[in-house]
Amino acid sequence: MNFAGFIVAQSLNAFSQAAILFFIACGLTLIFGIMRIINFAHGGLFMVGAYVGYTTVLLTGSFWLSLIVAPIAVGVLGGVFERVFLSRLYARHDGGAYLMVTFGLAILLAEGVHLIWGPQPRSVAIPDMLRGVVFILNQPFPIYRLFLIGIGGAAAILLWQFLERTRAGLLIRAVSQNAEMVHALGTDVAMVRTSVFTLGCAIAALGGVLSTPLVTAFLGMGSNVIIDAFVIVIIGGMGSFLGSIVGSLLIAFVQVFGAYYFQDMALAIIYLLMLTVLIVRPGGLLGSEQ
Amino acid sequence: MRERLVIALIVALLCIIPLLVPTFTLTLIIEALIFGLFAMSLDLMVGYTRLHSFGHAAAYGLGAYSTALILLHFNLPLPIGIVIGVAISIIIAVPIAWICTKSTGVSFAMLTLAFAQLGYAMIFRFKDFTGGSDGIGGIPRPAGPFGLDFFQSKSGYFYLVVFCLVGSYLLCRAIVTSPFGAVLAGIRENETKTRALGYNTRAYKMSVVIMAYGFGSLAGALYTPFAGFVAPELFFWLVSGRVLIMVIIGGAGTLIGPILGGIFFMLLEQQLSEVTQLWPLIFGSTFIAFVMLAPDGIWGLLTKHFRSKRPVPGDGEDGGASRAAS
Repeated sequence: MNFAGFIVAQSLNAFSQAAILFFIACGLTLIFGIMRIINFAHGGLFMVGAYVGYTTVLLTGSFWLSLIVAPIAVGVLGGVFERVFLSRLYARHDGGAYLMVTFGLAILLAEGVHLIWGPQPRSVAIPDMLRGVVFILNQPFPIYRLFLIGIGGAAAILLWQFLERTRAGLLIRAVSQNAEMVHALGTDVAMVRTSVFTLGCAIAALGGVLSTPLVTAFLGMGSNVIIDAFVIVIIGGMGSFLGSIVGSLLIAFVQVFGAYYFQDMALAIIYLLMLTVLIVRPGGLLGSEQ
Repeated sequence: MRERLVIALIVALLCIIPLLVPTFTLTLIIEALIFGLFAMSLDLMVGYTRLHSFGHAAAYGLGAYSTALILLHFNLPLPIGIVIGVAISIIIAVPIAWICTKSTGVSFAMLTLAFAQLGYAMIFRFKDFTGGSDGIGGIPRPAGPFGLDFFQSKSGYFYLVVFCLVGSYLLCRAIVTSPFGAVLAGIRENETKTRALGYNTRAYKMSVVIMAYGFGSLAGALYTPFAGFVAPELFFWLVSGRVLIMVIIGGAGTLIGPILGGIFFMLLEQQLSEVTQLWPLIFGSTFIAFVMLAPDGIWGLLTKHFRSKRPVPGDGEDGGASRAAS
């Protein structure tokens, strides 16, 4: 067996998995950073994105169009939810209330999907352009996964530059540091919150659409993925964007290689990792100490 | 005095239930009461100390699995099996509490979640011992002490559950009204200040986490012989989410509220899921409505009515008041 080829192929696998995880985790961490909300419905929004993408492909036949339609639809859904429900809770300063409301939304989303699309999984074909495999060091590797790595990397860089270089990004970082001060300086903080929530939901939906050709759209996909995303956000540091990138990579590598080398411990290993990080650095790897 | 009368009345009412309802309904009620106990145990942390645990399923799962293994492998009477199961869970809870209380707020919630998920993963890891995804079935309900076969009947088991629930309630009440409970309230309102007053808040938080695990594991332990099997899902985060919902729906920081929340939740779920497929939708909406419109929960709604008319004697320290302040 070609060991180098194996390592490379598995690493690429891990990178593509990290890309999907990143799409969920970065929205989660941005939302947490700015509103101190743990959005339990994020997995549900990821799932709704996948299903909306499926329907778009079914109606129009275009995978590329679904990459635009699903994030917009889910972003609007998330934005409306934030305006109608979450924005009324900020004054209460009760972390529990957010948890509850988003948990309620998660239930509604899961059931809504069940009602609209039914219980059976829905599959989406890989677009023609991205079908097939390439050989890397004599190991076959699916082109679609390479595409995922590319789009994940591009999204990470774009978002990072957006946060660092633009005025909107500056506002987001400012609100996450001290919302009251930003508000006092005359910025519409409520608007920033709604926008970030919308953005986070849209990115999660994009991740959902991108993952469907690999794993199909199915009912449990939201709750499967949300815990991984939590672990990433906690390991990376709650509210830290770069932390969500580091965390996604770490978890994806641990999952891919862990599943190969420590089959017995595969499930436990990411929780052990999370515990270790929390004990050593309660704020996460790149987070501020709370 | 009045309150004791009310409790005695409720217990008396509970005791005649088995005479009135068919066996099937009794099964539902037993499960509801077990969940009531489970929700109440979490209230010690959430309502009285404001430690939001998102992994309380760990307590339930620990109690359920340890009792299952004890009953399966040792030929012990049922109540002793349950006591040993709870004792094992409490011992395991000590290091968990020690680690979790190192942090606060969201980190605390996530650490508790991590432990519950770790438990879930461990069930799969040690599948020779725990049955993995199949769980453990065929758990016996051995005869009680002195050869009594009281607990083997459904109504006998019902009395056991009622006994545990009422006993735990009285114990929890004693805890939260004691000086120890006053310190917990201090931590809930302002931990820094409480520490400045000279209290070792970490030790208090550890104790309350261990207690909550103890009562939670009792609920899990009661569930095991009742259902006859245990499955890894008992550890899953959805269980933790559900019990947290029960606490909030019932009214956190009132003990009795979460019991009502647990019972209400289970009965509503069982009834509605039979009648309509839309049950989760209704449930999700009810739940959001509670958080938005009635943050004090069922108990808050019930007592608000009383309160506005006249001050209720013997109901001084609690009800919706502490919740509103938190």
